[in-house]
Amino acid sequence: MLDTILAILHMLIFPGGIFALAVALLFKGLDRRIAARVQRRVGPPLIQPVLDIAKLLTKETLIPKTAHRTAFIMAPVLGFTGMAVCAAFIPVSGVFDGLTNMGDLLVLFYLLPIPAIALMLGAAASSSTFGSVGFSREMLMMLAYEVPLLAVMLAVAMLVGKSTGAGAEFSLANIIAFQESNGQLGFNPVMIPAMVAYLIFLPGTLGVVPFDIPEAETEVLEGPLLEYGGPLLALYHVGSALKTFVVLGLGVALFFPGTLCDFAPVNLVWFVVKCFLLMLVAVTVVRASTGRFRIDQAFWFYVKFPTVLSLISLVLVWWM
Amino acid sequence: MSDILNKLSVRSPWLFRINAGSCNGCDVELATTACIPRYDVERFGCRYCGSPRHADIVLITGPLTARVKDKVLKVWDEIPNPKVTVAVGICPISGGVFREGYSIVGPIDRYIPVDVNVPGCPPRPQAILEGVVLAKQIWMKKLGLVEG
Amino acid sequence: MAGFLKVLLRNALQGPSTDPYPFAPTFSPKEIRGQVVVDPEKCMGCGICDYTCVAGAIHIDKREDGHTITVYHNACCRCANCYKYCPVGAIYLTDNWHSAHDHAVQYEQIEQQVITKEHCLNCGEPIRPIPLELATRLYAGKDDIDPDHVRHLCPKCRQMEDARRLHNSLAKPEQA
Repeated sequence: MLDTILAILHMLIFPGGIFALAVALLFKGLDRRIAARVQRRVGPPLIQPVLDIAKLLTKETLIPKTAHRTAFIMAPVLGFTGMAVCAAFIPVSGVFDGLTNMGDLLVLFYLLPIPAIALMLGAAASSSTFGSVGFSREMLMMLAYEVPLLAVMLAVAMLVGKSTGAGAEFSLANIIAFQESNGQLGFNPVMIPAMVAYLIFLPGTLGVVPFDIPEAETEVLEGPLLEYGGPLLALYHVGSALKTFVVLGLGVALFFPGTLCDFAPVNLVWFVVKCFLLMLVAVTVVRASTGRFRIDQAFWFYVKFPTVLSLISLVLVWWM
Repeated sequence: MSDILNKLSVRSPWLFRINAGSCNGCDVELATTACIPRYDVERFGCRYCGSPRHADIVLITGPLTARVKDKVLKVWDEIPNPKVTVAVGICPISGGVFREGYSIVGPIDRYIPVDVNVPGCPPRPQAILEGVVLAKQIWMKKLGLVEG
Repeated sequence: MAGFLKVLLRNALQGPSTDPYPFAPTFSPKEIRGQVVVDPEKCMGCGICDYTCVAGAIHIDKREDGHTITVYHNACCRCANCYKYCPVGAIYLTDNWHSAHDHAVQYEQIEQQVITKEHCLNCGEPIRPIPLELATRLYAGKDDIDPDHVRHLCPKCRQMEDARRLHNSLAKPEQA
């Protein structure tokens, strides 16, 4: 009983829910600010993501007559809930060890595609032509970036599992414990290809330029999001902000965990700083300096580079 | 609570462009406000969005030709309330150089309640920014935050 | 490969190049075409601006005792044809590009000048005097004529004046 309440608190307050949302919205604001700075613009105020969500809450909700009402409304709710649960599984080294002690990497792998699936569900339910174009593009992107993610996770799990003798270790807490004694995986020569693959995976899963093909506003009028407006769109934005936190937190947990000292708040700040640096390298710089890929280019890019890189790591781990 | 939300909401006006048969001159000037660092419309929290469902401020260019009239009205109706309409360029305001042409059914305020005019052929990007700021004030009036 | 990183770093160090407008005043480029202005002192009401205006933004209402010239800013496409063709330089474009306004006041966005005729100094016929500048140019090199006086005469009286002057100049050499 107490465990359940504690788990719910973890989902609602820390590290999921309020904490994750605050960090994610701050990151989004920083991202827009820095992207503007490197393009020699001023950019929006730091709290702009909050203002956007507040604005969307005041707008009226329009639901297309031809849409499937229930699926249309439930899709963003599904995406948001999936990510809110996900955020509770993110371990903050030195502060919080994650919700469970076994198999949470697999749970994360299954929960991570939920926003994309929710987006596809909403697109299909909206009965819009642009929505269905966005649907097919989102599907293709998902196929492209899920494979490297799986290979990266397997590489990490096998590396840790080999040394502990378990075969494969799918517990994030154990992975972090392993890295505390054996050095961070991000600096392990065998794992560097996997880390690069994860960095390339980030912009794809977050749907930012150059991989925002499903939501390209100039081509398919934001595709799946075309028919959404008002509070439902706000919910979708909150969900995608949480997703930013989840994938960055997962990247830190897999490759760069570690603590500065024994004092929890310092470790918390250190975790946020590491997440921010990861976002700066993988999202902001890429976003500010590239144009959009075509869908076939993006697909083959993912097949050629991150998949191959992550498979190299996997083979190296398996072979050694 | 809703008052606070309303006050915050005017700081995030999302823009949507409707081309009602424009020659593309005004559309290029609209694009410069977003793409050229000197003008940077993102300072006001603006963002050009692709879907009319997300828009708050509608920027209409072009004299409203007979062929696009129904489509423009349909797209304009898709935009959720409260919305502010800005006519950019002289064409939507008066018909401009195309006035009284056989294919022109505008000016646009015959069909759509326009709130702000930004005349020019095309207007300077700074004048468009001026119009966006004016549109924000009118949006505040519509929300009842300012007397007017 | 690293070229774009260099550009990004340089941009980040240099800081934004954004014009602070509308929070601070901005610049106006030289020869920017802004709103049209009519000089009521010079306008003769010939109507060439109305004739050449592409957008039909200029209207001239002629009356017995003068005319009213109206320029609708919301129809003016700032092509400057009126400025080019105006024979007396009465209509020109300023650098005032601040054109955004509320829709409710759109019919107040006009430049209107009510111009009344003056009387000929000789016969009292109502006329529009030629601008001084133009008159000076027209009678350049003729020292015996006061352009400021001539410009206030009606065409008929000017002809009479010319004829009188011609007669004088023809008569004088014989006397000498």
